[in-house]
Amino acid sequence: MATVKINGKEITVEDGTLILDAARQAGFEIPTFCYQARLSRLGSCRMCIIEIGGQKKLQPSCVTPVMHGMEVFTENETVKSARASMLEFLLANHPLDCPTCDKGGECELQDFVFKSGPRRSPFSESKRRFHDKDKILSPVIIKNHNRCIHCERCVRICDEVVGRTALGSIGRGAKIMETSFMDSTLDCDHCGNCIEVCPVGSWMSLPYRYKARTWDLKEIDTVCPYCATGCQFTIGARNNEIVRVKSKITTGINKETLCARGRFGYNFIQSEKRLKKPLLKKNGKLVESSWDEAISFIKQRFGAGKKTAGIASARHTNEELFVFQKLIRDVFKTNNIDLDSRFANKWVTSSAIEVLNLAAGGISIFDALKAEVIFVIGSAISNENPITDYLIRQTAVDRRKTLILAHPRRFKLNSSANISLRYKPGTEGEVIKGITDFIEKGVFHGNVVGDISQVGEKFKNAKNITMFLGADILRLDNGTNVVAEIVALKGLLKKAGKNIIIQPLFDRCNQRGARAMGIHPLFLPGLKKVKENGMDCGEILDAAKKGEIDSLYILGEDIVSMYPDAKFAKDALSNIKFKVVQDTFLTETAKTADVVIPGASYAEKDGTFTNQEGRVQRLRKVISPVGNSKDDLDILCSIGGFAYKSAKEVFDDIKKEVLGYKDINFDALDGNGALVKGHGAENQGSRVKGQGASEIASASPRNDTSSNPYLDEYPFLLITGNHLFHSGRLSQNDDVLIKLLAEPFVEISEEDAKELGLTDKENVKVKSSEYEAVLKLRVVKGSQKGVAFMPENFDSVSVNQFYKKGQGIARVKIEKQV
Amino acid sequence: MLTDNTIENIKKALTKYPNKQSAAMDALRIVQEEAGYLTEDALLQVADMLDMPPPELNEVATFYTMYNKKPVGKHHIQVCTNVSCSLLGSEHIVEFLSRRLGIKKGETTLDKKFTLSEVECLGSCGTAPMMQINDDYYENLTDGKIEEILKGLK
Repeated sequence: MATVKINGKEITVEDGTLILDAARQAGFEIPTFCYQARLSRLGSCRMCIIEIGGQKKLQPSCVTPVMHGMEVFTENETVKSARASMLEFLLANHPLDCPTCDKGGECELQDFVFKSGPRRSPFSESKRRFHDKDKILSPVIIKNHNRCIHCERCVRICDEVVGRTALGSIGRGAKIMETSFMDSTLDCDHCGNCIEVCPVGSWMSLPYRYKARTWDLKEIDTVCPYCATGCQFTIGARNNEIVRVKSKITTGINKETLCARGRFGYNFIQSEKRLKKPLLKKNGKLVESSWDEAISFIKQRFGAGKKTAGIASARHTNEELFVFQKLIRDVFKTNNIDLDSRFANKWVTSSAIEVLNLAAGGISIFDALKAEVIFVIGSAISNENPITDYLIRQTAVDRRKTLILAHPRRFKLNSSANISLRYKPGTEGEVIKGITDFIEKGVFHGNVVGDISQVGEKFKNAKNITMFLGADILRLDNGTNVVAEIVALKGLLKKAGKNIIIQPLFDRCNQRGARAMGIHPLFLPGLKKVKENGMDCGEILDAAKKGEIDSLYILGEDIVSMYPDAKFAKDALSNIKFKVVQDTFLTETAKTADVVIPGASYAEKDGTFTNQEGRVQRLRKVISPVGNSKDDLDILCSIGGFAYKSAKEVFDDIKKEVLGYKDINFDALDGNGALVKGHGAENQGSRVKGQGASEIASASPRNDTSSNPYLDEYPFLLITGNHLFHSGRLSQNDDVLIKLLAEPFVEISEEDAKELGLTDKENVKVKSSEYEAVLKLRVVKGSQKGVAFMPENFDSVSVNQFYKKGQGIARVKIEKQV
Repeated sequence: MLTDNTIENIKKALTKYPNKQSAAMDALRIVQEEAGYLTEDALLQVADMLDMPPPELNEVATFYTMYNKKPVGKHHIQVCTNVSCSLLGSEHIVEFLSRRLGIKKGETTLDKKFTLSEVECLGSCGTAPMMQINDDYYENLTDGKIEEILKGLK
């Protein structure tokens, strides 16, 4: 510990603390430009210079650590005049076009000059000027080089946090430009973090350009509705219209960072295509109706006693999902309720719930990342959970840590990984078993590309291990086997006295919360076992096909587009007599419905999401629902006849039934949210060993590649997932995100492309036994051979059409388009 | 596109360095020696060979005035205009050369014989003002001396 005197005030801090941090702790504000807590230290802007007693020259406080007994002055005349001089130098080349600059009002340069800058400048030469017109570098990013003050935060965040290194400096001296390669169009993640960290108006958001002055915005803190990382952000609205989303350095696990989806994916809210009125099917056509008519129609047709079921999407709030399961279970009297239509079956999802220990309390990702070994399997994390990717990247910089990524595809985080494993989809269990066998017996089998023995050694030598399991595993028919292997590995490591944390990586914002709310055919709220097992999504569709389902309530889920066999899903749904779809857009599923009711988007309602860590965060209403659409909670309450008036009232009821939420105060939830506690329902539905074992066996693995008759004709295993710029089918309605990626593509490894004589960006024919399409090819160096990937985000080529129910992972062939 | 020869030479150079990125400057020198200047394509190709993000390689290429980003004439005249040379009249030398060759700084004569550039310190402050033509230093410059030098250049 070191005791230092700052402006006469004594403070004791850890050894090695920066003077800047010590001064801020002591309550003194020091202005900075180039300093950013999570970035490497640059010490170039000289704004933070301070005087140290006994030293003649002023020192930059952002790179100088404290020493015991040091005396520091941050506010004396010498420092103040030096600070003013630094600002004078910056202003010499700054255009001072504040009246037309989007940053005006929240500009750090403006604020510091106002506070401590010179009021006049003797500088009479002409200012440096790079261009007259701002440069559009991407559909979302626009750059003004003239305003730049060269703090290089943009360059560093792109390299160190985002991991893209799309930016760099061009030139030197006064004429230096921080920009893209050759100052040309950016081919990057379009995350806009360069915009966020820019202290001036040099990097700007193109969609927000000239939309508002910052002081005219109504700003509300809320949580991102895309993946389950659960980033906090602030929505800025003007005249009931959302004009921007920005992150805040002070709140959330994401702090100042976001991804392209979060930052620019708000435009779907005001899309023309939004559903604005309830629709009723009359004479085979959906026609607009009044709310009263729609609700009474549903009440009349959707009654108890009939064979009913409900399927919900994990994009809904805890409160809506809780009320939804109440509607299905209490009013319609059935346990036929499931979440999402992409997952294999209820045994896979329930065994995952168990191995991920979702019934226990949440674990902060920062605690999870303290482990020496971080192992990620089953998620293309850079695309599915971009901000978790950032956090892992920044942790992996520590040389004492080992990052192991196991996935068929190569993606961005691989460049930060110590060990990368490649495998064929469906053989996740073999990978885990290989590690277990190596630790136990020193030998292993299996077709994994990469060094399993090295992974085994790392596991053996570590005291703390964190495993991240991706949502890919939930989609495998043999997912229970994978889970069983993970349980075995976990048991082995536990026995060796190691601390194991298993964290989920989910691709929808409230997947974890939805399970806790009882959106599962086997679990009630709080993950208590049901008395009588319900049907999962696949079983509901099977029953529907046989004509055994009378009515189905679909809350925000697009089954026709997502269920792995589009034709089957459509057929099955057409056999259901009465279908209600509640959604924000007229999805393929909604088109088949008898009643379509327009729900609200994330910015139009209140509630809570629980992210993958188990962190409960507040979603806040910013604008009123567009057109005649309504808050989803209101709709569900009026159909079910529940008396809840607000999300808070529902939350109070959740607290009674879901024990882990008991101590959470809805109104007090701030930017950091609150981690859930245990639900007191651990190890109830033991699906892995003992009870339910026969069910696991019946869901036997279908990844036995040797005996598959399709293998010769269709050599590629097809995997699907979200593209970095998209999420489910929702984002294709966003006119900004669609500019970032408008067309689906098929991605294969370089090896395969060479063998087939195909080159990057050419059009190829992709064919399965069910469907064929022409797509643009993307070739990736270092991906698993024999695996093809397609984003599942586009109606134009709906990936699930390639699938055939019962075949497991789809197989395709890829041919030159002639 | 880099020639096979260039690629071969870069590969050879790579063996001299502890990691690929350390060879950045040498690789760019090799490209320039054979192609005369660095094109966008060449930078991208070198970046790929060195496993380096292109913007980072571009930082190196644009920081050093010794790397040409445009085609240059047969004789590349680089006049130092840093402090010592500037105090001893380098601005006049640039102006003199400019007048004499009929081009502005950064330009090349129509016959592609001369290119005039202003560069940062070349480490020859003791003999300022000075300039470098291709790989050779010319020091303690005066108008007369420059005339002589230009005459000697064919």
